[in-house]
Amino acid sequence: MSNDDQKKIKLPRTAKGKKPQYFKDPTIDKLLSMVLTLMGELSVTRDRLDTVERLVEKNGLFKIDDIERYDIPDDVNQIRSERRSAYIARVLKSVQDELDALEQKGDGKNTALDD
Amino acid sequence: MIPLLEHGMLAQRNHDEESRQSFVNDFRIHLASNVFPGNFPTYYNRVLPNFIKNKGREPETRHEVRKVMTHDPYYSFWSAMQRNSQEMIWDSVIDSVERQLPELIEKSRKTGDKGSLILDPDLEIPKYHVAADIHLQPGAYHSDQIENDVAAGAMYDWGTYIYSMGGLGTGNNALGQITNGFFKNEFPDKKPLRILDMGCTIGGSVTYWAQQHPDAECHAIDVGAPVLRYGHARAEALGAAVHFSQQNAEQTNFEDESFDVVMSHILLHETSRTAIQNVFNESYRLLKPGGIMMHLDLPQAHGQQPLEGFLFEWEIYNNNEHFFAQLRDMNMSELCQKAGFKNEDIHPKSAGSFWMDDKTPYADDGFEFPITIGIK
Repeated sequence: MSNDDQKKIKLPRTAKGKKPQYFKDPTIDKLLSMVLTLMGELSVTRDRLDTVERLVEKNGLFKIDDIERYDIPDDVNQIRSERRSAYIARVLKSVQDELDALEQKGDGKNTALDD
Repeated sequence: MIPLLEHGMLAQRNHDEESRQSFVNDFRIHLASNVFPGNFPTYYNRVLPNFIKNKGREPETRHEVRKVMTHDPYYSFWSAMQRNSQEMIWDSVIDSVERQLPELIEKSRKTGDKGSLILDPDLEIPKYHVAADIHLQPGAYHSDQIENDVAAGAMYDWGTYIYSMGGLGTGNNALGQITNGFFKNEFPDKKPLRILDMGCTIGGSVTYWAQQHPDAECHAIDVGAPVLRYGHARAEALGAAVHFSQQNAEQTNFEDESFDVVMSHILLHETSRTAIQNVFNESYRLLKPGGIMMHLDLPQAHGQQPLEGFLFEWEIYNNNEHFFAQLRDMNMSELCQKAGFKNEDIHPKSAGSFWMDDKTPYADDGFEFPITIGIK
């Protein structure tokens, strides 16, 4: 097999097996997937911008390749991780809202949470 | 996300690929810590009162809980997000593997020769493997997309690390650390000379064993060629001598009584009812007298409350772990006896705490894996 043939390889992207339907209207399943992907991509973009900002501050000028070679220091990794967690919580606020309302309404019998 | 330790075969990630994987990792941590726990108040404050109102009693089994919880909007939304997060794992690792596949294949063909690799293109891939792509990894562990393919192994290395939210450790070998620590603790006088790991995929566990037991001859089998090619190259890159061969653990070509230790790491739940008995029978056949069988796997249903049991089975219905359902209720001691092990030499135990290298979701929660042990 030539190198050109190998370069053309496209790996499968969809797993074999029946996908569950979670909502009455399957369109909602698709919309949720889109929203979650959007969440991810925005996070990726924000990380990239973060890299750009840090490099600008560090070098004044930089080459595009610098971004690919940027080695994330542990403390920056930590900062990014905390920001991502806050971001996820923000986008998923509607889920937390439902839970908060439930707990406000409940009789405090949440014993399993302590297990 | 703390990256996996470099070993020479890892697919290199560009800036955005690394960021995308970190997002999926953090998203899954958020789901596990902040959204999943909400299923408990949802159950106790909404689902359970409705059940009692309709039936006049509490649910008696996890199956009864399933019927009502799967219709609850909070549970459904968590479940849908959890499923999506699993698909996003693979989506976040495919790009870098696809882009570097020719280089990875070339590297895998220029390895050292401490261990070895024997493939069997005629091996029949068992039904439980081809029925669906386990863990939603597109193409599964056994499909070659190109000659000398290693893609499934390269994806598995990053993918399982993200799946475990780092719980498998930066060497991707936590399960091997658990069984090895457990073995040394339980059998301090045993010095194994020949070791077999069944269903090894990329050999994370057996490579760790080989590093810890340099005088032993370590063998590893799996039905998937691309994961074996990758695993062999990975082990060589790590300087470990492991002999990989493409074989089904139900029936191997090794000689009778030729191993001191026969083990597996989360293999059984991905096989079938018949296969598990066959694996135990084969383990017995391969062990020398006094040899140790150790099969580490996921928890069974015994002793779990109906809600807990139901939540534990999410992966069966949502993550292509269909065969785990059968393992949940099987009597492992009985299977060991049928294989030939004597009752007094069968020990169901749990292990997890031997591995404390990092603070991980598994270590923090005292997550323990049951191990089925048989002494021949």
